[in-house]
Amino acid sequence: MQFQPRSTSQVMLMVVLATIPAIAINTWFFGIGTLLNIFLAIAVGMAVEASSLSIRKLPVAENLRDNSLLVSALLLGIAMPPGSPWWLTTLGVLFAIGIGKHAFGGLGQNIFNPAMAGYLFLLLAFPLRMTAWHLPEAAIDPAAGISPLSLGSLGQSLRFLYAGESVVDGMAMATPLIESKLASQSAVLEAIDTDLNIFARTAETGWELTNWAYLFGGLFLLFIGIISWHIPVAVIATVLLTSLLFYSPGGASVVGTPYLHLFGSATMIGAFFIATDPVTAATSKPARILYGIIIGVCIYAIRVWGSYLDSIAIAVLFGNFCAPILDHYVRPRIFGRGRTRATHSASGSG
Amino acid sequence: MLSHRVRRSLKFGGITPPSNKAATLRSRIMPMPLPARLLLPLQQYREQPAQPCVNVGDRVLKYQLIARGTGASGLNLHAPSSGTITAIDLEVDFFIKGRTQTAIELQTDGEDSALPLSGMEEIEAFEAEQIITCVEEAGVCGMGGAGFPSATKLRACLNQEMEYLLINAAECEPYISCDEALLRERASTVVRGAEVIQRACQARQVKIVIESDKADAIAALREALQASTITLCLVSPRYPAGEERQLLRAATGIEISREQLPTDVNCLVFNAGTAAAIYAAVIEGRPCISRIVSLSGAPLQTPKNFEALIGTPISHLLALCGIDERVHVDTFIGGSMMGMYLPATSLPICKTTNSVVATDNVQFPLPDNELACIRCGYCADACPENLLPQQLLQFSRSRAFEQATDHGLDDCIECGACAYVCPSKIPLVHYYRAAKEEIAAETANKRQGEQRKQRFQYWQYRRKLQQEARQQERADTGKTASLAETNAEEPFSREKARADIAAAVARVKQKREKKD
Repeated sequence: MQFQPRSTSQVMLMVVLATIPAIAINTWFFGIGTLLNIFLAIAVGMAVEASSLSIRKLPVAENLRDNSLLVSALLLGIAMPPGSPWWLTTLGVLFAIGIGKHAFGGLGQNIFNPAMAGYLFLLLAFPLRMTAWHLPEAAIDPAAGISPLSLGSLGQSLRFLYAGESVVDGMAMATPLIESKLASQSAVLEAIDTDLNIFARTAETGWELTNWAYLFGGLFLLFIGIISWHIPVAVIATVLLTSLLFYSPGGASVVGTPYLHLFGSATMIGAFFIATDPVTAATSKPARILYGIIIGVCIYAIRVWGSYLDSIAIAVLFGNFCAPILDHYVRPRIFGRGRTRATHSASGSG
Repeated sequence: MLSHRVRRSLKFGGITPPSNKAATLRSRIMPMPLPARLLLPLQQYREQPAQPCVNVGDRVLKYQLIARGTGASGLNLHAPSSGTITAIDLEVDFFIKGRTQTAIELQTDGEDSALPLSGMEEIEAFEAEQIITCVEEAGVCGMGGAGFPSATKLRACLNQEMEYLLINAAECEPYISCDEALLRERASTVVRGAEVIQRACQARQVKIVIESDKADAIAALREALQASTITLCLVSPRYPAGEERQLLRAATGIEISREQLPTDVNCLVFNAGTAAAIYAAVIEGRPCISRIVSLSGAPLQTPKNFEALIGTPISHLLALCGIDERVHVDTFIGGSMMGMYLPATSLPICKTTNSVVATDNVQFPLPDNELACIRCGYCADACPENLLPQQLLQFSRSRAFEQATDHGLDDCIECGACAYVCPSKIPLVHYYRAAKEEIAAETANKRQGEQRKQRFQYWQYRRKLQQEARQQERADTGKTASLAETNAEEPFSREKARADIAAAVARVKQKREKKD
């Protein structure tokens, strides 16, 4: 329940603000790659939105002011691997905003989450590029003592943007989840045993802290009443429960600990920022809980038994797919109906 | 017995807008100087308009009956002050229903001479039927806004065992403070009025339900309830806590659907102002000629509550509050959530007018353009009926009326909580009202179509009977049918028609040849 009436632009702006701590932590650990992607996505997004609106003969300035583009472009920028060439992000934004949003009818009319639609389009069209995470050398080599934010690293990140640069294999880096999926069991156990030290610039702690930051950002949104608790709690609880169910330490296949599933990849941002996109989620509270459960199951299943490295986009899109049927069949009880109450006289008297 | 626990007023949703009542509650209820002219509408409830029982030119005294209610739910009308009747069929365009209504015009003479009053001092000596007759004679109706004749309401539950009688003092809508002022200063009238109603309906438990933030009113009520079996029920201050069915659930736990009435579950709900009016009618013998009205809004220098006579032009009251016409934009009656804008301030106060608000550009700015619905669900969070306003909007806009009705459009009480919280500033209630009207028009059309179809089918049946009767007659009397009848009975056949025409042409030819 809201504390005060807000406008759409305020709501969207709050969502953007809630991601800032996490983006800051990400930049601190891994360099400006993500920031570059975000700025590029927003800039291209503005252009695409403005031209789409003018093609649809709608007032451009007024509709740009509702900040909905800001959120979609931001999420797509965060999802893009740092070190992606500029044309990859541009293509993604073009698809996400132009087709994923405006071809369906603009704000409030799209069935699929635009950012995730754009991401999936890129994932299917450019699978290799979308799974290559290029970080500046300084982020990968903590012993060197060079900060990812140093001039050299900044320059390296910028150079990745222009696809001319060929990338040395050794500069690729993956999330802890990806590592655990592809690595052997002993290496995973070793990785998990190390203690958390925020000043040690390992990829592991970077990802962990980013996820904690998304969690806090999401809780902030919950507290000020921008989002309701139903979807995030359902997603996180489902991922937690399924990962607990299938977790077998010392088993033949390495499925990862529950902590890894919640904080080792993109679950937090998925639960609080992507799945809660109001336009594409289910409407009523019971339907939202089911929606969250479906997404949670898909996240875990595709991650563990599918061939994709992370599954938030596909899981959310599948949830969007199910939302209309959930809305049709799952409806809350209207006040005064559904519960039988003994009446002493025939109704309609008087 | 007094209760300190604050109950939750709404099971679902609700909002807490700024109440804007402090301005009118700063001072006591003011008596009103007589206006020069009183305009008294004859159609006070949905039923037939009351029949005037005075003529033009008659001199009437205060409290004199000037129109008698007709029909099962008629309402009597009394002269609020002494004066001369100058018109009994004035056509006025009232805001109710949007069409013109008949009104009686009364020119006051300033003397305010009144008929003597006689009421029942001790109600214990009287039966329920006598009390109800007294209420009926006084023309008391629901002062909370609906205006249903109170005597009819009481009479309908004479044969029932009433479990609860609730007095609705939860004035939840912003700007309206007339009930709170009434309770603050005259709590005993409300309490005694509740006792009168209890005697009339034989209710087992009586509760006065009030929002917990009305401190002065609660203190006054506690004092007035010291020697009574009536209990006080505090509910949390939310809008729309004062809605009848929500109040019923808060005070008794019983939920009823939109079509049901509280009497279906052996409960009766009366507004606090109505209870005070019933007290006046029964104990003092005073008919319903005045009510408390809250006058507020930024253009008024001194917003206050008035004890206003029915029929007072609203402009008279606005002038008494020192209205600044330079900033005055518009006027509405009621509260800021469900109020209705007035086409003119010359319109009078009716028995159901609880508040008048003068607007300016600052407190009531022009609404922003509506953006697209982002399906955030804040409206569903706010809806007290637990509906899905975003779905209702979609169906209303796309005219999918069957789906809208299926999602509970008829259960919408049009409280406006959804529109209040909408970030895209969509005027949701307007869409629902438009959809409801279209559905009503379609249903009426369908019903008419059904009736026409039935009439046509019956006409066919009658015709068939007629033909059979004629055939029978011919068979009895041996009379042959006329050509027209024969032709009318047989089904049309093109060959036969051609043959007839050819035969006629041949006959004409023959005749001509014969002539030549």
